[in-house]
Amino acid sequence: MTDASDNSAVETAAADTGSSDAETVSDLDAYAASLVESLGALGSTVEFDTVRIHVANDRWVETINAANKDLELFSWLSAIDWSKEVEVGDPVDDVDALDERFEVLCRLSSVKNGDGAIFVTVLPKVDPTIASLEPTIAGAGWHEREAHEMFGIEFDGNPNLIPLYLPDDFIGNPLLKSYPLISREVKPFPGDVDVEPMPQGDADAIEPDTLPEDEEDAS
Amino acid sequence: MTTPEMIHRSDAAVSIELQTPDMTINIGPQHPSTHGVLRLIANIDGERVRDVEPVIGYMHRGYEKISEVRTYAQITALVNRIDWVSGFANEVPFVVGVERLVGIEAPPRAQYIRMILSELARISSHLVFMSSYPLELGATTPLMHALREREYILELIEEVTGGRFHPNFNRVGGVKPNYGGGSTTKKQSMDLPAGFFERTRSAMDRMDKICEDIESLVAGNELFKMRTVGVGVIPADKALEYGLTGPNLRASGVAYDLRKVENYLPYDEVDFDVAAQNGGDCYDRYVVRLEEIRESAKIVRQAVDKIPSGPLQAKVPRVLKVPKGQVYSRSENPKGEFGFYIVSEGGKMPYRLKIRSSSFSNLSILPWILKGQLLPDLVAIMGSLDFVLGDVDR
Amino acid sequence: MNFWLELILKLVAILGFVLTGALVVIYAELKAGSHMQSRIGPYYAGGRWGWAQPLADGLKFLQKEDLAPAAADRTVYGLAPYVVMMSTIAVFVVIPFGPDMVGRDLDLGIYFVLAVSSLSVLGILMAGWSSANKYSLMGGLRAAAQLIAYELPLVLVSAAVVIQAGTMSLNGIVASQAQTWFTVGGVDVSAPFLIKGQIIGFTIFMIASVAELSRIPFDMPIAESELTMGYLTEYSGIRFTMFFLGEYAAMISLSAIAATLYLGGYAVPGVSGNILNVIGPGVMLAKISLLVFIFIWIRWTWPRLREDQLQHLAWRWLIPISLANIAVISIFKVAF
Repeated sequence: MTDASDNSAVETAAADTGSSDAETVSDLDAYAASLVESLGALGSTVEFDTVRIHVANDRWVETINAANKDLELFSWLSAIDWSKEVEVGDPVDDVDALDERFEVLCRLSSVKNGDGAIFVTVLPKVDPTIASLEPTIAGAGWHEREAHEMFGIEFDGNPNLIPLYLPDDFIGNPLLKSYPLISREVKPFPGDVDVEPMPQGDADAIEPDTLPEDEEDAS
Repeated sequence: MTTPEMIHRSDAAVSIELQTPDMTINIGPQHPSTHGVLRLIANIDGERVRDVEPVIGYMHRGYEKISEVRTYAQITALVNRIDWVSGFANEVPFVVGVERLVGIEAPPRAQYIRMILSELARISSHLVFMSSYPLELGATTPLMHALREREYILELIEEVTGGRFHPNFNRVGGVKPNYGGGSTTKKQSMDLPAGFFERTRSAMDRMDKICEDIESLVAGNELFKMRTVGVGVIPADKALEYGLTGPNLRASGVAYDLRKVENYLPYDEVDFDVAAQNGGDCYDRYVVRLEEIRESAKIVRQAVDKIPSGPLQAKVPRVLKVPKGQVYSRSENPKGEFGFYIVSEGGKMPYRLKIRSSSFSNLSILPWILKGQLLPDLVAIMGSLDFVLGDVDR
Repeated sequence: MNFWLELILKLVAILGFVLTGALVVIYAELKAGSHMQSRIGPYYAGGRWGWAQPLADGLKFLQKEDLAPAAADRTVYGLAPYVVMMSTIAVFVVIPFGPDMVGRDLDLGIYFVLAVSSLSVLGILMAGWSSANKYSLMGGLRAAAQLIAYELPLVLVSAAVVIQAGTMSLNGIVASQAQTWFTVGGVDVSAPFLIKGQIIGFTIFMIASVAELSRIPFDMPIAESELTMGYLTEYSGIRFTMFFLGEYAAMISLSAIAATLYLGGYAVPGVSGNILNVIGPGVMLAKISLLVFIFIWIRWTWPRLREDQLQHLAWRWLIPISLANIAVISIFKVAF
């Protein structure tokens, strides 16, 4: 496979996945384009076999409901907090260029074939509010509750936006990037140990494993 | 006892109607039928359940947050603890997702090993269901018989991975290499143990036998049918609306199986059927799982025959740098669609990891399905959804 | 003085029989159930085959703290297990183990049995109500509904036996089964009522007994997976032991009644007179053991019914069938 020992090679490797199965990707591209056209969405991103359809946040419910006709299965709904200030984990690649925002994602799948798309909409960091899917897709109710308590996103029209996982008196939205992970403050990141090269041998790659010949008869 | 109001009522005597207020009953978090720490606040009128409010989160471990400070290699150790009944099957979609991001592919032998172990995990998960579900209906004996058979499966998994429940056997680019054994063992591959395939085949024969036993002793039992047939019917449209997947969806007549439509393991090279029923009731959900044990045994047999030789690990960098990108990788877990939405910003750790767990969605239908059911049926329906609280709460 | 001595002896004998019997049945259930589940079961207590397991369990229970919920009605709560236990033990007063091996041969024996054994409902209701626990309450109410529904077929099929035997005395019922049915080639053939046309009655009696005992498939009052432990939820220590022993003692008592009514009791064909006082108890114990085993077998085989299905079964099937049973038995009684 690709020699992915440095960053630039990895970038090409990612591109390779795309082009190695050119037919699938063009299929996916065409599929994404057709979705964008039929739903009147803003655009689409296709990467790593994953179709993302960008939707304006005021047409969120309308678009999802329209898409739900073909993509019958409501799979999940969640959010991403794009933030410059990151308390835990790695910051984003290019901090200066980052547009601080929430992304709300909703995955719908078809049960007839492998089709499916993730619908994405953008919400502002301040007072993020969006119409709820719960009245039309009841299954979204719990997912919205989860997003509400984890990110502080308001879902207009969800009658039951009470905490799902967290205790009732919990303060804060744990999945926000600005929310610290207390255990990480107390104890250093255990992964730091792993990124040091091993004391011996070439640190770049491990050899592909080879089968001992005598094990062959086991099959 | 004698409040003024009561005196007044007794004076009014026959003219007033008997007050029968609903009783609020708290089922769980410690209750024999909730499989852990699920709590149901049920409003009941006699034996009839008016409405139910599930309270979850007692097992919330915050994996999505923790994953943001773990390297990709470390996250596999976390994800197999999500649904601990089928630990191995949870790792697969995650590593497949990371492999897609990095742009490497596991060697065929590794993919076959993943497939065999995923199916073994499915069998073991379904055997747990085969044992615990009759227990909820009061039949104690199937528990022991199904768990005994599961022991053979767990032994196989342990033999290969070293762990019965939390194998942590998948690596990005393959399965567990012989790592850290120093220079002498470095070139030695850690392959499947000798004789594994024979033992697997004989274990699969046992599975066929236990399926027959269960079919005649449990599924064929009149009392069992009385308790399950026509109980808790989930129509297909409701199932789709609530995001039910896996056997729960297939019992409602939607033959949707990610093993057929999603290309994550070489399932297209083996021949198997998607078990589906049309009734959508508890009995059908039971039968679908029973059939799936058979189909999984079929897959394992074929995979064992077909497994190619070769390396277990693709060449991967020592320090895994995952390129920027977002990928949704999903697989057919024993409980349903299990997916990871990985948002990578090029770091050694994911920027965001959304875990789509099957039991969470499967459980979200509870308030709808339990409305108006009898209390004993509440237990029957809840059990038939086959959830694991670790999978619900993550 | 003689009367008092006899009374005490009989009391001790009955108590001893009931309690040791219950322990033996508990052991049998542990062991038989284990083997049905491909387990070994009790193994260590007592040194061999775990024979002392019930004793060890009992000792453990005795050491446990006797807890009562703060909101419980303590008097009723404390009394309930004894009511259940008492009603079970009282049944043994009239069960004959031989022509003279009987606590008291009442003329209204079967009437007494049915009356006293249904008193246990009262104890269960007391337990369910006084525990101040919603699960217990539901368990108690289920038990009441269930026992009322199943008391009826029990009484009706017993009435059919009484009609056939022409007496309500249990000793009389045994004697009438020991009578010559017909003679073939000079050999007197006698048969228990089970063979003499009471097979339906016996089946209904056994079904109703299982319901009376609240055992699977009719264990809704306890229904572990639904009501945690029903009316037993709050009980611990000695009081729980009382309920526990009571359940197994009731199993023996119902088996003994079924053996007396349908299987010929202590009687052995071709044997009469005093010798029955010697072999009678053994015969009776064998029959009781057989029936107890059937109860255990059912318990480990079937799932639980639903409350409405149980009521359906009782009122729509068992009661009409037992009424028809009475009619048929009466017609045969008059005709032959």
